[in-house]
Amino acid sequence: MASARHLLGRWEVGLVAITIVIVVIAQLDGGGLISSYNLQTTSLNNVVLLCLAFGAAPVIMTGDIDISIVGTLSLVGAFTASLWAHDGVGIWVAAILGLLLATICGVVNGLLVVLLDLPSLAVTLGTMGAYTGVSFLILKGSAIIEFPSSLVTLGSSNVTGTPVPIGVVVLVALFAVLTYVVHGTQFGRSLFAIGGNRRAALFAGIAVNQVRITAFAISGLFAGLAAIFYLGDYDTAQAGIASDQLLPAITAVILGGVSAYGGTGTIPGVAIAGVLLALLQAALGLHGFSGEGQTIAVGILLVFAVGGGSLIRSGTFRRLWPVKASRSSSANAVIDAASTGGG
Amino acid sequence: MSGTTWSSSGAKDGTDPASSARRALQHHPLLRRSETGLFVLIVLITIVAACALSDFRTATNANEAFNNAAQIAVVAIGETVVILGRQIDLSVGATLGLSAFLVGSAVGHISGPLGPVLGVLMALGLGALLGLGNGLLVNRVRMPAIIATLATLSIYSGLQVIVTNGSQLYVSQVPAWLANLRADSWLGIGPFIWIAAICLVATSFLMRMTRFGRDIYALGSNPEAASYLGIRTGLRTFQAFAFCGALAGLGGLEYTSQYGNVDATAGSGFELTVIAAAVIGGVSLFGGSGTALSAVLGALLLTEIENVLALMRISIFAEQTLEGSAIVLAVAVYAVASRRLRRPLRREQLMAQFEVRLGQLVEPPVEVATATRSSDGPALGSSADG
Repeated sequence: MASARHLLGRWEVGLVAITIVIVVIAQLDGGGLISSYNLQTTSLNNVVLLCLAFGAAPVIMTGDIDISIVGTLSLVGAFTASLWAHDGVGIWVAAILGLLLATICGVVNGLLVVLLDLPSLAVTLGTMGAYTGVSFLILKGSAIIEFPSSLVTLGSSNVTGTPVPIGVVVLVALFAVLTYVVHGTQFGRSLFAIGGNRRAALFAGIAVNQVRITAFAISGLFAGLAAIFYLGDYDTAQAGIASDQLLPAITAVILGGVSAYGGTGTIPGVAIAGVLLALLQAALGLHGFSGEGQTIAVGILLVFAVGGGSLIRSGTFRRLWPVKASRSSSANAVIDAASTGGG
Repeated sequence: MSGTTWSSSGAKDGTDPASSARRALQHHPLLRRSETGLFVLIVLITIVAACALSDFRTATNANEAFNNAAQIAVVAIGETVVILGRQIDLSVGATLGLSAFLVGSAVGHISGPLGPVLGVLMALGLGALLGLGNGLLVNRVRMPAIIATLATLSIYSGLQVIVTNGSQLYVSQVPAWLANLRADSWLGIGPFIWIAAICLVATSFLMRMTRFGRDIYALGSNPEAASYLGIRTGLRTFQAFAFCGALAGLGGLEYTSQYGNVDATAGSGFELTVIAAAVIGGVSLFGGSGTALSAVLGALLLTEIENVLALMRISIFAEQTLEGSAIVLAVAVYAVASRRLRRPLRREQLMAQFEVRLGQLVEPPVEVATATRSSDGPALGSSADG
């Protein structure tokens, strides 16, 4: 574990280095990546993505995964918009009720995964369909547009007198809170302990079930916040919105240094990875690469980043297969063998 | 469903309907198999739906449903092999799409009787090649499968956009044998169903009767133990991914036949349908448990639910919700059932472990012994709960 932490000490540094390389190349090549207009557009386009990624990170740190986040986003978007448009509820009251619903969605995932001891991938695959379906039931294929100016201001305007979008400021505040929660509290340390070795965490007296369910609740809450950002930025609510954001969000988390098996990673790392992805896509876009070129570039970047990291790590754990096996020491391999499939 | 469960013994789990029905009766109580429960459920739904919905009884509808299920089943069988080895392949949708376009346009240039043979070989080959790419990342680069195939999903679907270059493959460009495949009938049964049946029988044989199959089950049940046993885990992982890719490629050929028009979005999202079919069929995402037959039955049930909902004129918007709930319900039922089956077995294992630990306590110095012991108490309690 010490070597993993050592590696992580350099992970964010590596990400920053790649980001700088991308920016420098893009600048030298012309196209004006670093202009206030470009940066504004890029950051506004990626607020939703980063918000989803922040929420998904704690769940992945505990060794679970939540792919229902886009379902929650769609559901909360539809629910909030419908409350405002059809039931005459004030937009901010509706938004708060929406965030409540988002948290409930997350808790439902957590209860199913933790209390029934089910694989999180299968459960959230199911709830992704279920939540998205409910959003279709609410809006029935129609779209709600022209939200009150206060919401649109949050989503797409700048802080008065500066070129900084309000959405980015709010996102940075959320980032600060989440960083404190994950890296500065006992709850945060529990996340890593559970992701590193769930059984050992239990022995250490950590309320494993409670922490895992809370992680899912955080994931739901951030998906709800992403929905509010989405409504503000695009000024449109429709069922199934942002379903293409799932894979980029998970990519940002993994690229940020969070192991898919849990136990490692940092929130700042996820943030840097999100910025890196956003700048990469903006730079490729400015140089005439269309969507597919960007998709391939993101895929290749993921392979090099995660693959490179795994290769370094596999120098330490070469004899163990697969990577998951490196978590279990030989002492509890017996127990693992006894309860294979149980978790 | 209370009687349904899966068998926890890996290699004995494979079954092919042709040869093993008798053996299953001899060796397993048939009622304890998840496939039986699933089959009964499908039959029950069919009976109820046939009585209640006149549209359901029509030959056209049955044909349609079977064709859809068969197409999902082919890819789901491949996905199941990967999942059995405790990996996952999220790139099958993109593999399917690439194969649908590339092979679909290539066979247009091949005339004569060689066309179908070359077409199938190209589809299998292209799919296997893309699958090997996944195997390479998982095995040599040592990426977790879910991340590696997430990356290849991006890369392959990007390639798909590039090769299609904004154009579409139209029915008119597809050779007649491929375009007519869907509506064709061999011995009264549609070709899609034949293909699915062949894949089912071949995979069941492979998983049950060959070393490859046994190794995959062992690998999925406990990767570490499998490698200590001398199983070539790396090779098997490669083979499993190549196999899955090949079947996804074949699914691509079927896609071309089914829809005629192939564009850059062909097959996107198909990976989730396929995984849903496997999960509903009772294939454990933890690896080592499930059969090719489970995947086929899962595909059948998934398609049937969709079909019945559509015929009941239930809003298309409710479908997604009900399907999602069906997946969660299926996973929960299987988990509870398997736990019920495993409970006495686990207690025995824990007792055996406890005795081993007691034996160890005699050997090492006192300090180490107490340290081990303090972690023993909760171990027993928690494992019995979880």
